[in-house]
Amino acid sequence: MLADALGTAGRAATGRTGALPVLSGVRLVLDGNQLSVTGTDLDLTIQLTVEVGGEADGGVVLPARLASDIVRSLPAGKVELEVSDDNVHVSGGRSQFTVRPLSIDDYPKLAAPTTSATTLPAAEFGEALRQVVRAASTDDARPILTGVLFSAEEDGLRMVATDSYRLAVRDLPGQQALANAQRVLVPGRALGELARLVGGGADLVMRLGDRDASFEVGSTRLTTRLIDGEFPNYRQLIPADHPNLLTVERDALLDAIRRVKILARESTPVRLAMGGETLRISAITQDVGNASEELDAEFRGTDLVVAFNPDYLIAGVEACTGEHVTLATRDGMKPAVLRGQDAADYLYLLMPVRVPGS
Amino acid sequence: MAGPPTILHADLDAFYASVEQLLDPSLRGLPIAVGGGIVLAASYEAKRFGVASGMPASCARQLCPTLRFVGGHFAEYQRLADLVMAVLDDFTPLVQRISIDEAFLDVTGSVHLFGDGGTIADRIRTRVRAEIGLPISVGVATTKHLAKVASQVAKPDGLVVVEPGTEAEFLAPLPVHLLWGVGPVTEAKLASRGIATIGQLAGSEEGWLRSLLGQAVGTKMSHLASNRDHRSVKPGGRASSVGAQSGFGRTLATAELLRAVLGHLADRVGGRLRVAGRGGRTVTVRVRLAKLGTSSRSITRSRTLDQPVAATRTLADVAETLVLGALADHPDWPEVSLLAISVSNLVAVSGIQLELETTDRASSDPTRPGSATGSARWAVDHSVDAVRAKFGRAAVGYAGVTLSEYGSVPDEFRELAER
Repeated sequence: MLADALGTAGRAATGRTGALPVLSGVRLVLDGNQLSVTGTDLDLTIQLTVEVGGEADGGVVLPARLASDIVRSLPAGKVELEVSDDNVHVSGGRSQFTVRPLSIDDYPKLAAPTTSATTLPAAEFGEALRQVVRAASTDDARPILTGVLFSAEEDGLRMVATDSYRLAVRDLPGQQALANAQRVLVPGRALGELARLVGGGADLVMRLGDRDASFEVGSTRLTTRLIDGEFPNYRQLIPADHPNLLTVERDALLDAIRRVKILARESTPVRLAMGGETLRISAITQDVGNASEELDAEFRGTDLVVAFNPDYLIAGVEACTGEHVTLATRDGMKPAVLRGQDAADYLYLLMPVRVPGS
Repeated sequence: MAGPPTILHADLDAFYASVEQLLDPSLRGLPIAVGGGIVLAASYEAKRFGVASGMPASCARQLCPTLRFVGGHFAEYQRLADLVMAVLDDFTPLVQRISIDEAFLDVTGSVHLFGDGGTIADRIRTRVRAEIGLPISVGVATTKHLAKVASQVAKPDGLVVVEPGTEAEFLAPLPVHLLWGVGPVTEAKLASRGIATIGQLAGSEEGWLRSLLGQAVGTKMSHLASNRDHRSVKPGGRASSVGAQSGFGRTLATAELLRAVLGHLADRVGGRLRVAGRGGRTVTVRVRLAKLGTSSRSITRSRTLDQPVAATRTLADVAETLVLGALADHPDWPEVSLLAISVSNLVAVSGIQLELETTDRASSDPTRPGSATGSARWAVDHSVDAVRAKFGRAAVGYAGVTLSEYGSVPDEFRELAER
């Protein structure tokens, strides 16, 4: 349990030893039988509370990686932590470790957000996170796009992310987590960590402030700084209508793309040829070889070929729910829209790869 | 350094001139030069008079009044060089062609079939002479660098084998300019410290060389001089960069000149990248600044982009910005005599991932291939490439590039030399 807590909190600790070396550590504070474990890089903070057998209250900061590695390596059973003068002794079974702690006086004071809380069903929210966060950018040169937009819609909460190649939109109807027309931009990285913490069942408590947001699941709290800036007007990016609509079995499509992708090396796209009652997926890598596969499909529209980055396509199909997915297209250069059939609450838009002849 | 010498460097002698003499027997034994206003290549007979490539024709005629200029048979150059490479392929699969007329071979695995390195080199020379009719020099050694030095020593039409254990002895008396990467600037720097031979270079302390020549060059020179070279022969190795350069007489660096020359260079580099299905993230320019009565100086500037590019206009724009920056930093040098563009950090590019117009700064950046501008440039380039593939280079091009007067050297020749 302690190993998990150290590992989870450690994910928020920074790997870089920059201006504040203490941020590469996790802080452990014992209060009675409650041990709180905290990791932070000042943008993202993860704090967990675990039940322990406490002897004397106090706090210490341990190097995150080291502490996690040590506790994880110990045999199952009790772990003892003892702080004395300049050292921390960690023991379990017949193993003994002595570690030099980091200065707890340097550890930043972390404020807990005080805005009013909303409770959301954790399972549904977790699924929404997984559907949307994948479309957020990881390119720090485009900070706005690394965030996920939370906006209040008439009938609930909407989450939107785009890395400029794809765009994911998920609605959570009935969830009034934001004030009217309120919009906040939550870092995708924090939400990716949150998705790992959200299991099934339990409720999730969300607080959205002006500068921070916090999420509580069980005894774990994740706090993140919000991104400042104007999210692109994503509505104008979503085409109003599409002349072509393909409907195909979701799992069969995923398997086929994964197979064909083997021959889509070195950033080669996969081509989707649509027409009649089949979908033909193919890839050619120069000097390596080619692959193709046909699937039964329903298609209405004009026959066409559209090429996509296979990873972006897989990510989109995976995110759609239901037995069948639909792919709406205009031509080889305009955005395509993936949806789960009969799932109106999610869409994944992706830009094609322009290939010779398109 | 154990093992027998099995790395070969095969280099055709005065290649373009030799081909002309092969095609027209009346030119054999005569001093000839390929080119027009400028010497592109000279025969050995002409070289004896001091004629060298890159020399203005007037200058060459003064040195050698009987010099004959001949036009270039470009298609023949490529065809004959390919035939020579096919001969090399008969001796080992490990052939690394490094330009149109030279290649490295690793024959370690072939010695039991054809005999030792020297024997194979001899057979290559005999076959190239008999089957194609061209002279070729071969160097044989334990490393690539030493094999190349040996082939230069072997010229013209010779063979030099450097036996293991004799490397230092072989290198010691040779002039430093035979080392890979030693150009006139490095040579002059070394000469100013009294270093003229490779032996003297090998005897110099590495740290001192680094402080004289810079970290990278100093280390490399020190290693090469003492025959430390661990590079292997990489067959069919794709180029790690694609570049083109253009030298001309001292010229005022006006906006028009830069646009014309860089546009032309970008056109060639971009076209070659696209034909190879590649793009590169790093664009590097080289500018040779010139001034009357002073030696010239070279400046290199580069920019690494987020995404690989192969678009002609984008390459030209990035290069122009870099060159203008370099010139702005040297206001005392208003004239230039050479411009070069090269693209590195190459990756395969078989299409362009289009981008949504998200209205942030990056989405309107025309250097991003997936932006609206980038996509339009891609379409134009592919149309140009398609027409050229059918009707030849001159059939179509960007206005201002095809129409410019600049460039006394035919593009076909540049393409061969830079391939």
